[in-house]
Amino acid sequence: MYPAPIEAYFAPKTIEEALRHRADAGDDAVFIAGGMSLMQAMKARLMAPRALIDLNEVEELSGLARGPRGVTVRPLTRYRELARTTALRGALQAIGDAAATVGDRQVRNAGTIGGSLCWNYVASCMPNVCLCLDATLVLTSLAGGEREVPIDEFLIGPLETALRDDELLIEINFPRSNDRGTGGAYRKIGATVDGLPIVGITALIEADGAGVCTHARFSVGGVLPTAQRFDGVREILRGRPGTDAAFAEAARAAADAIETQTDHLASAHYREVLIRTLGREVLAEAHARAMGW
Amino acid sequence: MNRTITVTVNGLAYERTVPIRLLLVDFIRDECGLTGTHIGCSYEGRCGACTVQIEGRAVKSCMKLAVQADGKEVTTIEGLRQGDKLHRLQETFRRYHALQCGFCTSGILMNAVDFLNENINPSEEDVRRALVGNLCRCTGYSHIVEAILAASAMRHGLKPAPPPAETEDAP
Repeated sequence: MYPAPIEAYFAPKTIEEALRHRADAGDDAVFIAGGMSLMQAMKARLMAPRALIDLNEVEELSGLARGPRGVTVRPLTRYRELARTTALRGALQAIGDAAATVGDRQVRNAGTIGGSLCWNYVASCMPNVCLCLDATLVLTSLAGGEREVPIDEFLIGPLETALRDDELLIEINFPRSNDRGTGGAYRKIGATVDGLPIVGITALIEADGAGVCTHARFSVGGVLPTAQRFDGVREILRGRPGTDAAFAEAARAAADAIETQTDHLASAHYREVLIRTLGREVLAEAHARAMGW
Repeated sequence: MNRTITVTVNGLAYERTVPIRLLLVDFIRDECGLTGTHIGCSYEGRCGACTVQIEGRAVKSCMKLAVQADGKEVTTIEGLRQGDKLHRLQETFRRYHALQCGFCTSGILMNAVDFLNENINPSEEDVRRALVGNLCRCTGYSHIVEAILAASAMRHGLKPAPPPAETEDAP
């Protein structure tokens, strides 16, 4: 486990400088953010980039802001900050849930939300959470300029995204939602505490004052080819009071609909059971938060 | 392939020309000669023994390249005590028998110091969760958790739970 020789290293301070390095360095250059996945891939020699463009000094890629259109999370924002901020309310509490349980303290001090999205590992939390919360990503390159890509189109398959080689993720935008009446939650089960999820579930619930669900979104991570949303949950819950029976029915439907795989971590059947049981809990949690309980 | 960097480790600036691929942990051990930072797995980021602080934040130094620490302040276990005085956590680790072979200890201390700096009054559950990234194969963690909780209590002027068996030194 040691990286192959690396010819060049750049630590730009601005997005523009980073893009220029990327354009100059050619195909064998990669951007590195927190490095929690990339360093592992480099040490295992799965990747041997000729040049590294380190984004950690690009301040404009970090931080989060609430605006009229919603909340913008910049990609270099680290899990530690996402887990501690008070700016993620309502549905976006799911981001905080996930960030607080990624890896371990040392990983949360270094790893970033944008790095996780661009890596799109099957067993990771952020792609799943962003899928449920309907994020839109802003990508940019010197040659192509800026474009907005919905998360559904961004996540393609294991370690595969719509990001082009010369592109940089510069914003993750979450749509505006009411802090009151909307709740989001995320939970996962891994082989170890805070480990990579065998199954991770994100839920979003909107409810009226009486607790009747008016909208719901539900997504599952840890399944192939990438995190998946199950819209059937919305159909089942809409217009129904947020009861345990309703949540159990919705989670059961999700477990039936989503194809699961057997791998070294767990059997397909175990994953189905997790979607059913964890799904019910996460829906209940999201509903409780929507109600302000 | 090489790059000249200046990394401040425990207050001392080390200027070295190193390969870009050199991991920070090897810079600290081989270039700075500070061997209190350990390598417990094969640089896989699994064991946490190489945990140091970069700008006060605990990170595993096998997960960073040395060039990424250029211009930064790194603190290792050797930088924890002040003069002749051990850090409070070092003291409680000693009193509470929070180590046996000691191999994981430096990484745990560097993580725990950062943890207590940002957690005013952690519960046992908080402490256990904070230790997820540090493997200890001797102690079963119980005494480590007690030592961290004791340091936290002492910080507030509270009397910590007594150590498991405080024995007199042999005459």
